[in-house]
Amino acid sequence: MSHATPIKSAPVIECAECAPEEADRRPTDWTAQAIAVETKNLSRAVVDKVLVRDISVQVQKGEVLAVVGPSGAGKSSFLRLLNRLDEATGGTVLLGGEDYRAIAPRELRRRIGMVMQMAYLFPGTVAGNIAFGPRQRHETMSQEHIKALLDRVALPGYQDRDVSTLSGGEAQRVSLARTLANSPEVLLLDEPTSALDEATAREIEELVLGVIRERQMTCVIVTHNMQQAARIADRTMYLEAGKLVAIVPTNGVSHAG
Amino acid sequence: MLADLMHTLSSDVRMGMAQAAGAVILCLTVVLICRRFAVHVERETVLSLLRGLVQMVFVGMVLALLLHRNALVGMLILLAMSFAAAVTASRRAQGLKDALLLCFYAIAAGAGVVIAGMLATGALKPDIAILVPVGSMIIANAMNACAQSIERFNADVTAHVGQIEAGLALGAEPAVTVAPYVQSAVYASLLPRLDMLKSLGLVWIPGVMAGMMVSGASPIYAGIYQFILVAMILAASGIAGLIVTVLIRRRAFSPAAQLTLRPGEPHNSKLAPVKA
Repeated sequence: MSHATPIKSAPVIECAECAPEEADRRPTDWTAQAIAVETKNLSRAVVDKVLVRDISVQVQKGEVLAVVGPSGAGKSSFLRLLNRLDEATGGTVLLGGEDYRAIAPRELRRRIGMVMQMAYLFPGTVAGNIAFGPRQRHETMSQEHIKALLDRVALPGYQDRDVSTLSGGEAQRVSLARTLANSPEVLLLDEPTSALDEATAREIEELVLGVIRERQMTCVIVTHNMQQAARIADRTMYLEAGKLVAIVPTNGVSHAG
Repeated sequence: MLADLMHTLSSDVRMGMAQAAGAVILCLTVVLICRRFAVHVERETVLSLLRGLVQMVFVGMVLALLLHRNALVGMLILLAMSFAAAVTASRRAQGLKDALLLCFYAIAAGAGVVIAGMLATGALKPDIAILVPVGSMIIANAMNACAQSIERFNADVTAHVGQIEAGLALGAEPAVTVAPYVQSAVYASLLPRLDMLKSLGLVWIPGVMAGMMVSGASPIYAGIYQFILVAMILAASGIAGLIVTVLIRRRAFSPAAQLTLRPGEPHNSKLAPVKA
């Protein structure tokens, strides 16, 4: 897996956990990696509040970046800007070097998949949910493909199950499989385990980690759990009041945590 | 003409006002009973009663003055009524940009198509004394359908933001993500009219039929005509409900396929520029 990239125009690291020597722990081969996603002075403000303020960060192909910070820090707001579920009021996002405004929103969201905090499955069968994304492009998913995805998320034989009969953990696995069915280049995870009990959360976490490793996916995960960030991410960025206050390699997080 | 108006005012109006006073007393009694159950509708009821009475007296006077004018004047009156109906219906869509215009389009289209159809087939005579009252019934129902559609669509969308955004995040067209809520909104606007049609003659005999029979028309023809009228009301409501829902569906998303209709947020909420 590839590793850390320093941000070029992000605020200077200010917190105690982010001493300069931590940043120097970066592997030496990071410059050789291509940039999958880059934000440039990304900002979003609504009428009376700045949700995301001037964030610039680069995420390498295959890198896992965790976004942490207190409630209301703008973690989810930042994530929602990456696949353009919300509109940025300043700055932009580059996907593979291309400005995301030059990419049709539907195509952008296929390429940048998102798993939300809640599964939000559509009424019907598990197979129907998994085939939803490709169906939007008038593509038919084969039964074998659906079966393979379900096997991968440890739900073999669930194709015909009605989603209303699934547990929270099962629903989140289906949600992950549904996103993977679009073959995204980048995976956004918005606190995907926060609504689950500890044991189920760990299972989902291991599943996600396995999937992104085997597919060498670029991943940005929002989490309030420092330990989870340490287990999953190559780097962790800290947000506070919408502002990027620090970005450190995962070792720095576990060290701080 | 003015002498006719004065005559009408002097003879029938006194009796009408006495009957209206009786109706008002009955309504106020209901309000007092409601008050005992802590349902406070006093102010709203009194204002509505006063407003309704004034409006109807005014309309009666206008009709008395225009009774012998041509159908074009009647059309203009119906157009004005459609606008007033749009003002009322658009109150259900507070915060929605151009709500008044959208409601006007929907109501005018629903009522316009039906009234034009009735005029073309001879079901409605281009006589202002018939055109305006019948047209107003159709407009009023189109208005209710419009308001019901807006309310239902807003409620459903704001209650299913996660589901809709999950669809958007998977690359779905905005229209696909809200398709179930468009269906339920249109259905909600049609349901009262469908019930009205089902109960026609069994539960209620509408005023038009009663009026036609009083003025000497065949009861069978009066019944058929009333059926035509209620069917046309259903058609106008369907058109108005469908059009307004499709129009507000488009307003619920930004050009970049982002859901802008969310709980506690007005449609198309303004984004503020970021201060450095």
